[in-house]
Amino acid sequence: MRPRLKALLGAACALPGASCVGWQSTLSPQGPHAESLLRLIFAFAIVCALVWILVVAMLAGALMRRRRISREPLASRPREERRLGMLVGAATAATVVVITGLTVLSFVATRGLEASHDDALKLRMRGYQWWWEVTYLDPRPDRIFLTANEIHVPIGRPVEIELSAADVIHSFWVPSLAGKKDLIPGRDNAITFTATRPGVYRGQCAEFCGLQHAHMAFLVIAEPPEAFDGWRRAQLTDASAQTTSEEERGRGVFTQKACAACHTVRGTSASGSLGPDLTHVASRRYIAAGLLESTRGSFAAWIADPETLKPGSNMPNVPLTSDDLRDVSAFMASLK
Amino acid sequence: MRLVVVMPFAMLALAGCQREERSLRLDPPVEAGLDEVRVMSNGIGGAPPKVYVALGRPYENNAFDLDQGKRLYDWFGCTGCHAHGGGNTGPAFLDGWWQYGADPVSIFVSIRDGRTAGMPAFGRYLTTEQIWQLTGYVQTIGAYSAKTAAPSRNDEMQSRPSENRAPATLGALQPPSR
Amino acid sequence: MLERDTLQSVFPLGAAAALARRRDQVTSMGELHRHPQVIRFAAKLRGLTLVGVLAASSALAQSDPGAQLSASTSFSALDEIGAGNVQRLTGGPVFATGRFGGQAGAPSAAGDLVYIETGFPNAIFALELAQASPSVAWSYAPEPDGRARGLSCCGRTEFGPVLSGAKLYANTLDGRTVALDRRSGNKFWETKLADLSNGETLASPPVVADGKVLVGNAGDEFGARGWIAALDAESGRILWRQFSTGPDAEIGIGPSFSPFDPRDRGTDRGVATWPPSAWQHGGGSVSGRIIYDPELRLVFHGTGRAAPWDAQERPGANRWTSGLFARDPETGQARWFVAFGARDPYARGGVAQDVLLDAPWKGSARKLLLHPDGNGFLYVVDRVSGEMLAADPFTHTDASPEPAGPGAVAGPVPSPDENVVVRDICPAWSGATGAGSPAFSPRTGLLYLPVSRLCMDFEPRHASYLAGTPFIGANIKVKPPKDGTSGALVAWDVQARKAAWSMNEPFPLAGGVLATAGDLVLYGTLDGMIKARDARDGKLLWSFAATDGIIAQPATFNSSNGHQYLAVMTGLGGGFGIAERNMLDPLDQSAGLGLAAALSRLPTLRERSATLYLFRLP
Repeated sequence: MRPRLKALLGAACALPGASCVGWQSTLSPQGPHAESLLRLIFAFAIVCALVWILVVAMLAGALMRRRRISREPLASRPREERRLGMLVGAATAATVVVITGLTVLSFVATRGLEASHDDALKLRMRGYQWWWEVTYLDPRPDRIFLTANEIHVPIGRPVEIELSAADVIHSFWVPSLAGKKDLIPGRDNAITFTATRPGVYRGQCAEFCGLQHAHMAFLVIAEPPEAFDGWRRAQLTDASAQTTSEEERGRGVFTQKACAACHTVRGTSASGSLGPDLTHVASRRYIAAGLLESTRGSFAAWIADPETLKPGSNMPNVPLTSDDLRDVSAFMASLK
Repeated sequence: MRLVVVMPFAMLALAGCQREERSLRLDPPVEAGLDEVRVMSNGIGGAPPKVYVALGRPYENNAFDLDQGKRLYDWFGCTGCHAHGGGNTGPAFLDGWWQYGADPVSIFVSIRDGRTAGMPAFGRYLTTEQIWQLTGYVQTIGAYSAKTAAPSRNDEMQSRPSENRAPATLGALQPPSR
Repeated sequence: MLERDTLQSVFPLGAAAALARRRDQVTSMGELHRHPQVIRFAAKLRGLTLVGVLAASSALAQSDPGAQLSASTSFSALDEIGAGNVQRLTGGPVFATGRFGGQAGAPSAAGDLVYIETGFPNAIFALELAQASPSVAWSYAPEPDGRARGLSCCGRTEFGPVLSGAKLYANTLDGRTVALDRRSGNKFWETKLADLSNGETLASPPVVADGKVLVGNAGDEFGARGWIAALDAESGRILWRQFSTGPDAEIGIGPSFSPFDPRDRGTDRGVATWPPSAWQHGGGSVSGRIIYDPELRLVFHGTGRAAPWDAQERPGANRWTSGLFARDPETGQARWFVAFGARDPYARGGVAQDVLLDAPWKGSARKLLLHPDGNGFLYVVDRVSGEMLAADPFTHTDASPEPAGPGAVAGPVPSPDENVVVRDICPAWSGATGAGSPAFSPRTGLLYLPVSRLCMDFEPRHASYLAGTPFIGANIKVKPPKDGTSGALVAWDVQARKAAWSMNEPFPLAGGVLATAGDLVLYGTLDGMIKARDARDGKLLWSFAATDGIIAQPATFNSSNGHQYLAVMTGLGGGFGIAERNMLDPLDQSAGLGLAAALSRLPTLRERSATLYLFRLP
C-alpha cells in the first residue's frame, strides 16, 4: 500500500512539474507580465482550493452529522432558524467577498499588462493560415523589415505587438512571457510584454484555426540589447551574396520558378508578398512555423513536398528537377 | 430490441458525416498529366487532359478547389485587369461573352500561356493544379455556369448583392444606384 | 469581343483601305496654303504678362506656321473664329482613321499637312488638306506588340505626333520612340525605351527640347519605376535616363538639387522614404506631359502615384512619387522637387498638366508654374526656385492643405487600413483633373480647368508584386456626386485665387481645353459634344454633336488663305471611356477601377472609328 501511494503521489507531482521546465510554460515566467499572471494564477488557485476544501468539508460534515428528525415538522424553532439563516448569510457574504477580492486582484494584475510604454519596441504580427508574419516597425520607413515565425526582443525593454489576422481568428500565446491575445480579422489588438532573462521561448497559436493549427508555432528569442541590435542590423541588409555556384544556380531557379511569385528575397528580383519573407530565412531556427529545423535537408524536404509535411498549407508542390531542388535548398540555406 | 431501433439511426447519422473530398496533394505524375491539354490551333477550346476527366473534373465542382481558385484570383492580382468579373483593361467575365469561349481548356491555356492581346502568362508563377483551380473559379464568374463558388468580392462595395445571391433581375439594365 | 475582331478585319492596318471606305465622309475643305505666323506672343491684360513658353513646338514655331498652340498654356493666338461668329461654324467629319480605340492625342498641323496618331496600334497619318478632299499623304503603322494593350491601364494614354524641323516624333504604347520624315513618313530612327515585361509602356507624347527628345514612361499601376529619358534628336541614342525612385545617382540628384522643402534635402531620400527595397517597384511614372521652358532651360514633369495603391504597404513619404521635378535637359540633373500630397493614399498621382506663366505674384513679377492636381488643389509654384506659393481647392475635395505647408494631405483618412472601406472620398483616384490639359488665356487672365467631380469608395487590399502584372491593391467603386453632375469647366482667376465661374457638365471632362484669342474656350465631352464657350463668362456659344465621345484636346490652326480651322478628334477611350470600349459589366461596381458603373449612363457608341472633325467659318 505504502510504496504504491508514494508512486502515485510522485506521478501526480511530475505531471504539472513537467510543464514547469522548458520553453513554453506559464509556470516558468520570464518577465514581469508572465510573473504577475502567475501570481494571479496562484492566488486564484489557492483561494479556489481553500474555498473548495471548505465547501467539501462542510458538505462532508453535513452528510456525516445526521440531523434529528423532528416530531413536529411544522413547529417553529426560531433559534435554530436564525442560526441557519446567519450561516447562509455568512456563506453568501464570504462568497461576495471572495469574488470581489478576486475581481479586484485580477483587475489590478491585468491593468498593468496593457500599459503603454514610450520606449517600447513596436512590432506587428499578422496571423495567416498557418504562419506568423512579423513586421518590425520604426519611424524611419527604411528600417522597417519583415520576417516570419520568429521574433527577437531585447531583454528589459517592453515589447508592444499589434496583432491582426489575415484570414481567420488566431491567438498569440507565449506562455513564458505573456497571456493570450486573439488575432481577429478586421480588428486591431495589441499585447505588451517584457522579457527579463535571455532565452528562447516558444509561442503557439491558441485558437483553433484550421487543419494545421497545431503547426503554427513561433519563437521569441530574448537577447541582450547589443545582440538584438546586431540581429536587427543584419536583418535589414539584403540577402547575403551567394558564394558557391550551386547557390548561384539556386537563386536563378528561385527567381525564375513559382517561388518568386509568393516570396521576397531582398537583393534579388523575387518580390512576392504572399508567403513569408525569406531574405534571412536560414537565420531562423525553424521553417514552416515550427515544423522543421532550418537545415538544408529540411529546406529540400519542405520544397519537395510541403503538402505531405503540412497538408493544407498554401505552399504548393512546385515541380522541380532533383538538380533544381538541390540548388534551391543550397540557396535557401545560404540566406543567413 | 432497442439496439435494432437505434442502430439504423446511428448509421444514418454517420452517413451524414460524409463530406466532400479535399485533395490537398496531387501525386507528381497526376499533376504532370494535368498539364497535357490539347488546345485547338486557333487557341479556342480543346480536349482536357485524360487525367482531368479520370479525376472527375474536380476543379469545376469541388467546393475546396473552387475556394482555392477564389483565393488565387485575389492573390495573383487578377482583379487588377478583370476587376471582380466586371473587367478593366482585361475583358469582363460576368457577361459570359468570352473571347476564347467558356471551355475550361481555353481558360486554362489563357492563364498558363497568356494571350496576345495583353493577358500575361502565369504558367511561370502558378503550379498546374493552381491554374486548374483558378480555371474552375473563373468559369463560375461567367453568366452561364452554375454559381457554385462564392464571389471574390465583398458585397459592401456593391450596390446589390453578389450575383449568385441576388434575386433574378436584369440588374445590368437598371441604372446603378449610388 | 467577336465584334472587336471583326472590326480589325474591316479596318486592316494601312490607311488606304480605311480611307477608301470612308471617302464618302470626307468633306471638301478648300485649299489650304502656307501662311507663316509667329507663335510667340506677349499679351498684357489685367496686369498679367504672359510669355508663351513653348515646349514641344518651340523649334517648330519659327519654321512651321500651322501650329499656333502654345504647349504650356493651350492658348492659341488665332482669333478669326471668335465669340461673335462661332455660331456660323460649318464642317464635320473629314477622316475616319479606321482605328477602334481611345483617341486622346490632338492633331498637329504644319503647312498643308495634318498629322494624327491614333490610339493603339498607334498608326500615324499625314493628311493632305490642300486638295478638294483630304487625302492621306502618307501613313505609318508601327505594328506594336499586342501585349501592350493589356498594360494600358488606368490613366491617360495620350498620343500625338510632335513636329520639330523636318522630323516628326511619336511614341508607341509598346515602348518605342520613332522619328519620321515629316514629308515622306520615312523612318529615321526608332529606339525601344520601355520594357513591356515590367509593365512599362509609353502613354504620353515625347517632347523636343534643345536637340533632345524627352520621353517618360507609364506603368506605375504595374509597379514599374518611373523614369524620364532623353534621346538624341538626330540619332535616337539614349543620352540619359533618370528614375523617380531609388538612390540619388539614379534620380539625377546632385549638387544642383535644392528643393524648397528642407525635409527633401537629405541624401538618398528615394530609398530612405521606402521600406527596404520597396522603391524597386514603387511606381511614380512620368506619364503626364513633359514641359520645356527654353528661357530657364528647364524641363518640368510630374511623377505618378506610388505603387501599390494600398498605402499600408509602403510606409514613409515615398519620394519622389506624386510630385513635380524640374530638371536640366542637358544632363537630366534635378533642380528642385515639390510634392503634391503626403503619401498619396488615394492614388491620384502628380502627372496632371502644368501651365507656365510669367505673372506678378504679391507685387513682384515671378515665373510661375500652375499645377492643377488630381487631389483638387491648384498649386502655384515659383518655377525658378520650386517654392510653393499657394494651394487652393478648385473643386470639392476632401484633401486639405498640410498645416506645416501647402502640400495637401490625402483625404478623410490619412492612411486607410487594409480591407476597410473608406467611403465618399472626393475626388476619385482618377483625379479632380488631369486627364486633359487646362488652358490659360492671357486675354481674360483665367485658367480653364477640365474638372471631374467623381467621388469613390476605396478599400485597400494587399498586393503582391509580380513583374508585368497589375500592382494596385485596392477595390474601388467610383460614384457621381450627389447632384449628379460629374464634371465641370472651372474658370479660375489666378490673381484672385478663386473661381470666376464654373459650368457643370453631366460627365467628367476628360479631354483638354483650348482657349483662343477669339475669347473662346473649346472642349469635347465624353458624350460627343464639341462645345465653345465664351471665355469671359462661360456662356455656351456653339456646340456640335459628334458621333463618338471625345477625350482629345481640340486643336486650331490657320490655313494659308488666312482662315482658321478647328480640328477635333473623336474616339472614346482612356480611363473614362474604358467601360464602353472594353465592354465592361457595370453589374460589378469595381469594374474599370470603379469607372464603369459610375459612367454607365454614357450613350453607347455610334461610330466605331476614331474620326477627325474639321470646322471653319463659311
